[in-house]
Amino acid sequence: MNELRDLSPDASARGAATGGGVLAPLPETYYDRPLLKKPHWEWEVITYLFLGGIMGGSGLLVAITDEKQDPELSRNLRYFTFALAATCPLILVKHLGRPERFLHMLRIFKWRSAMSMGVWGLMAFSAPVTAGAIGQAARDGLIPRWLRWLHPRPLTDPITAVLGAFIGSYTGVLLSATALPLWGIGKRHIPTFSACSGIAGACAANSLILVLTGGSEASIKKLERFELLASLAELALLRDFKRHAGPIGDPMFAGARGAKLRRHTEIGGILLPAAFTLLPVHGRWKTAISSVLTLIGGYVLRETLIEAGKNSADDPRAASRQPE
Amino acid sequence: MASGFFTDTTLCIGCKACEVACKQWNELPADGYAFSGDSYDNTGELGGTTWRHVAFIESTPDAAGAPPTMNRWVMMSDVCKHCTNAGCMEACPTGAIIRNEFEDVFIQPDVCNGCGYCVPSCPFGVVDLIDRQVIQPRFASDGRSDDNALQTHGGVAGKCTLCYDRQKVGLVPACAKACPTDSIQFGDVDELKVRARKRVEDLQARGVDASLYGVDEDTSVGDLNAFFLLTGPPAAYNLPERPVLPSTRQPAGYASAALAVAGLTLLGLAIFRRGAA
Repeated sequence: MNELRDLSPDASARGAATGGGVLAPLPETYYDRPLLKKPHWEWEVITYLFLGGIMGGSGLLVAITDEKQDPELSRNLRYFTFALAATCPLILVKHLGRPERFLHMLRIFKWRSAMSMGVWGLMAFSAPVTAGAIGQAARDGLIPRWLRWLHPRPLTDPITAVLGAFIGSYTGVLLSATALPLWGIGKRHIPTFSACSGIAGACAANSLILVLTGGSEASIKKLERFELLASLAELALLRDFKRHAGPIGDPMFAGARGAKLRRHTEIGGILLPAAFTLLPVHGRWKTAISSVLTLIGGYVLRETLIEAGKNSADDPRAASRQPE
Repeated sequence: MASGFFTDTTLCIGCKACEVACKQWNELPADGYAFSGDSYDNTGELGGTTWRHVAFIESTPDAAGAPPTMNRWVMMSDVCKHCTNAGCMEACPTGAIIRNEFEDVFIQPDVCNGCGYCVPSCPFGVVDLIDRQVIQPRFASDGRSDDNALQTHGGVAGKCTLCYDRQKVGLVPACAKACPTDSIQFGDVDELKVRARKRVEDLQARGVDASLYGVDEDTSVGDLNAFFLLTGPPAAYNLPERPVLPSTRQPAGYASAALAVAGLTLLGLAIFRRGAA
């Protein structure tokens, strides 16, 4: 016979010792309530992750491209990267509410905070990128020619590439350095596919610019080939992340959100543009469409990552044993 | 000398005096009325303006073929853990989150810029943003109040200060002062640990399955300055069984990304500079 008695906590705790009976076990979770808090990050952060990835990829392209072989692309890249480097801090200021709050990040340098490192990376990145834009404008005759000496290319281009690689991947490190299970379990995958997606996005954006300005066909071809490699790497990493994360990856890969990721990023943003590149279809419209698809896929990837991360905070079982 | 809390859940009677005292002293707004149905817990969770939270666990035995059992009704007053290795503090990009002279984790509201990174970085889900809440000027590190205008734009992070202001003048934190059963004990963490271990021994001798949470931990978070005596698995109290200091994941992330980007860079050079040679 089950004998049920309601007792005060202290009496209940003593119960087992005094032979009052066996204590009921405590439940596995606390009424299934979330254990963790989710960030309040909205479109500003998603847009920053998206544009920041493209900015990092463009920084890398600045150093990879050869001015003699692809003069238009090389010129576009310097202006494009500069425009992004000028825009991104504004988005962050919008996120924080007012400019003074952004300056608070510049009062300290912190190795262990990915966000602090990212802000300093962004600041550092804008220096060679600004120099690049000034040098380009001087060579293009937009400003006095002597200003091109502000842009020592053998020095600034490698710095732009290294800092660009950092900018394109640190946001992924920033996410995985939180307690949210989905982001935590992706500590190797998220920074890596973010960087790949950023490089693919930079190629797509610059292909689009070349198409719209009637630029060199040869440069577009090279961009498409590079984009193909970066986006296939991204797809492979996304698939491997799904396998690695298991049920913790459900907020990202299952249900309506998973379907959207498959539709917009994996198929629309990677496989379709890849097919366009590989199939013997030609024409500027093809490049334009596949570039836009790649960019949409990149944005949806960031959006999915942020929103699914928030959802993963709601699972107290995943949050109880946190990924190392 | 580190100060902290020893919260002995076997002594908690669920009176919520700690919640009230905390709200009163720290001038935190009420949470409003909401019926949760989760025993007597209508507070729900810790948050930006809720720095003590009494959890109520009403546990009934399984009906099917269980041995003679008793219902249990367990209470625990939850609070910021003031971790040895604090996730929020490591994440904070402004240096607003500091370890103060009492070795407690403290958010300087006049430095915080509301970026929100500390919120998901807490392995215990403690910190949250206070939306457009004017923070009391007495918590500003330099005592000035004119900086508060900054904080009305987008809010700041809020959590238990371990009554920094009370400690500065030698007072016991409001919750510990108000606790009628000494379930919340405040003091030097080392002394509290000695007391807590003794209490566990006593309870175990009486057949109570008692254990300490946040003492002698081998996790990357380390010991907690606010630790607990529990009579069940941590997850039942909404405490993580195995918390991890999130920033420890960074080297793996940077290394993996660097490897991938380096590989792609080589391929990119092959694509873009093939004609040069």
